Amino acid sequence: MIDVQHLSKTFGKLEVLRDISTSVSRGEVVAIIGPSGSGKSTFLRCLNLLETPTEGQIIIDGTDITDPKNDITRIRQRVGMVFQHFHLFPHMTVMNNITFAPMKVKGLSAEEARTKGLQLLERVGLQDKADVYPSKLSGGQKQRVAIARSLAMDPEILLFDEPTSALDPEMVKEVLAVIRDLASTGMTMLIVTHEMKFAREAANTIYFLDGGKLIERADPEQFFRQPQSERAARFLEQVL
Amino acid sequence: MSKMLKWTLTALVGILVLTGGFTNVHALSLFGSGSDQAGSGDLFAGLLGETSQEAATDNAEKKTIVMGTSPDYAPYESVDAKGGGEIIGMDIDIANHIADKLGYELKISSMDFNGLLAALQTKRVDFVMSAMSVTEERKQSIDFSDSYYAARNTIVSSEEDNFTSLDQLKGKRIGVQLGSTQEKVTQELKDASVKKLNRIPDMIQEIRAGRLDAAIIEDAIALEYTTSNPELKFNMIPASSGDEGYAIAFPKGSALTNDFNRVLEEMKNDGTLQAITDKWFGNENEEENKRGSGVIDFGVLEGYASYLLRGVFITLLFTFVSALFGFVWGAILSLFKISSIKPLQWFATVYTSVFRGTPLLLQLILFYYATPQLTGYDITALQAAGLAFGLNSAAYLSETIRGGILAVDKGQREAAMALGIPYGTMMVSIIFPQAIKTILPALVNECVALVKESSLISVIGVADLMRRANVVQADTGRALEPLLFIGAIYYILVLVLTSLARLLERRMRRSD
Repeated sequence: MIDVQHLSKTFGKLEVLRDISTSVSRGEVVAIIGPSGSGKSTFLRCLNLLETPTEGQIIIDGTDITDPKNDITRIRQRVGMVFQHFHLFPHMTVMNNITFAPMKVKGLSAEEARTKGLQLLERVGLQDKADVYPSKLSGGQKQRVAIARSLAMDPEILLFDEPTSALDPEMVKEVLAVIRDLASTGMTMLIVTHEMKFAREAANTIYFLDGGKLIERADPEQFFRQPQSERAARFLEQVL
Repeated sequence: MSKMLKWTLTALVGILVLTGGFTNVHALSLFGSGSDQAGSGDLFAGLLGETSQEAATDNAEKKTIVMGTSPDYAPYESVDAKGGGEIIGMDIDIANHIADKLGYELKISSMDFNGLLAALQTKRVDFVMSAMSVTEERKQSIDFSDSYYAARNTIVSSEEDNFTSLDQLKGKRIGVQLGSTQEKVTQELKDASVKKLNRIPDMIQEIRAGRLDAAIIEDAIALEYTTSNPELKFNMIPASSGDEGYAIAFPKGSALTNDFNRVLEEMKNDGTLQAITDKWFGNENEEENKRGSGVIDFGVLEGYASYLLRGVFITLLFTFVSALFGFVWGAILSLFKISSIKPLQWFATVYTSVFRGTPLLLQLILFYYATPQLTGYDITALQAAGLAFGLNSAAYLSETIRGGILAVDKGQREAAMALGIPYGTMMVSIIFPQAIKTILPALVNECVALVKESSLISVIGVADLMRRANVVQADTGRALEPLLFIGAIYYILVLVLTSLARLLERRMRRSD
């Protein structure tokens, strides 16, 4: 479904990603882990072109998204993203946060969008919050709304950029539960995370990045029991 | 907060309709209805029609002819502020008679006296009748008809000074109207300090305030003002040799000059001219002006209040249009400034620098006088004012809005981009509403400034509050009362505006 070939990204002289090649199949859940500054987030952001790759190709379902001839907004509609700091639209109610893009971009009627919005809110357990403003929500609730907002566009792929890093510990669980639930529905997902337990349980594949390189790409059980590289072993030692 | 969104969009649509409709006659007649022009008030439509006048001369039966005048010079020309706000006076009667004889329909365009020559040279008007004397200097740039009236000059001074001859004015402070023939009289004065003012009423006020000792004013006008200001007196001075009297002025080489001379000659012969003169200078001169007593007497405004208050509409309409135009254009400029396309950035930067670096009054006057000359489009005063103020305001607002946009969390853009929302929709619905919330106080300041600065547009003859106060000042000969009155109105307008802004701000804070 996603085919990444020789992806590199530099900011000025700084090489953030170096020659990453990999592929993700439909329904696969990938947890991307690694020390901070290893390029995890940048890798994820390349996949919906929030960062423009310096070199290499990213092919999603046969479409090369790095080809400037392709419409970026079109591609982004197929690839949802959930951010560390939620980035809900503060001037819109929860419901409007969710329905805005489907109505404006996909042309859904207000009624259709609202029906769908209610379904999604139910799915993330927040149906009673439809008409409040984001400022009234807790961090965990905000993140669940953000997930619902992404899902409203019916993306084929969902990217999570450290979805629980900005949350108080007691709220991490509720968000992870939602993501786990999504994984069970067969959504293709790439998740940058520091939650090792979660990565181990929810992911099909672990990507270990360090220094902008994809060092290891492994089955979770195998990775956590016996990492192949020495760097991964050292990293696991520090975080576990 | 979809209400906010709707509000923004409505505002955007509104500006489009308004600016788009700016040139159409509906909007113009709306504007025209509040102007202090003669006739049914559709001067703007008249001016608009005048652009096509040259083409129309051959075929149209009743051609329109536009006369420029400065209606603060009763009994020659003044605004009938107590009546319908029309321009009346001896010059108007004569002009109407001539236009009628020649088969023209007369439209009157009012402006400051010292703007009349420019209006003639730019062919903004076909002729000027404004108690204008023939002088050698003026003959260089415009043509004159034969003279239709010869006035004499007087010295107006306070009752106790009561100057009777020019010799007494040695070392005194003398006022004279800028661009008038009386200027010549003051040139002959030795040792006097001469202050040139735009309008007669200003000079009267300066004498009353003790900042001038005397003013050189012609007889009929002096009579008018000393009647309404009993503490002032006037004395005739002998006519100077080169005095050729008042005449009608035309652009150089105008074909109208001969026609007008012919009709004037007829009027002199058949007594019509004398009849009109008698009507305006006769002693049965209509209702006597209310005499003010004391320093400030608001009683003099009796009958003028509704005329003054109608200026509120013009001032508000103008403020609304220029604020909206300035906001939308300012928003576009701010997008240029943050865009990655270099030429757009440069354009916006140079634009802001030029409009902030030159006086607004200068821009206003340039737009009004230069537009017809450079583009051939006969821009109306209100259009020129809206354009100048909108463009100027946009320069300031673009900086404010740019700051507001940059203050919106970068994550908002990324979230919108990640949802596949196109740039325009993102800006209008996601970024601007948040930016506006932070810059609302600055926007309100700009609107308040616009309300007050709108008083500048009176200079090019738009009948806003300030212009109307000037008219009433000319009519009553009293300066302070109408000025204090409109000062209070301006203050109330600003108070209402800021209260509305506070309400709006509270609504926008709902999402916090």
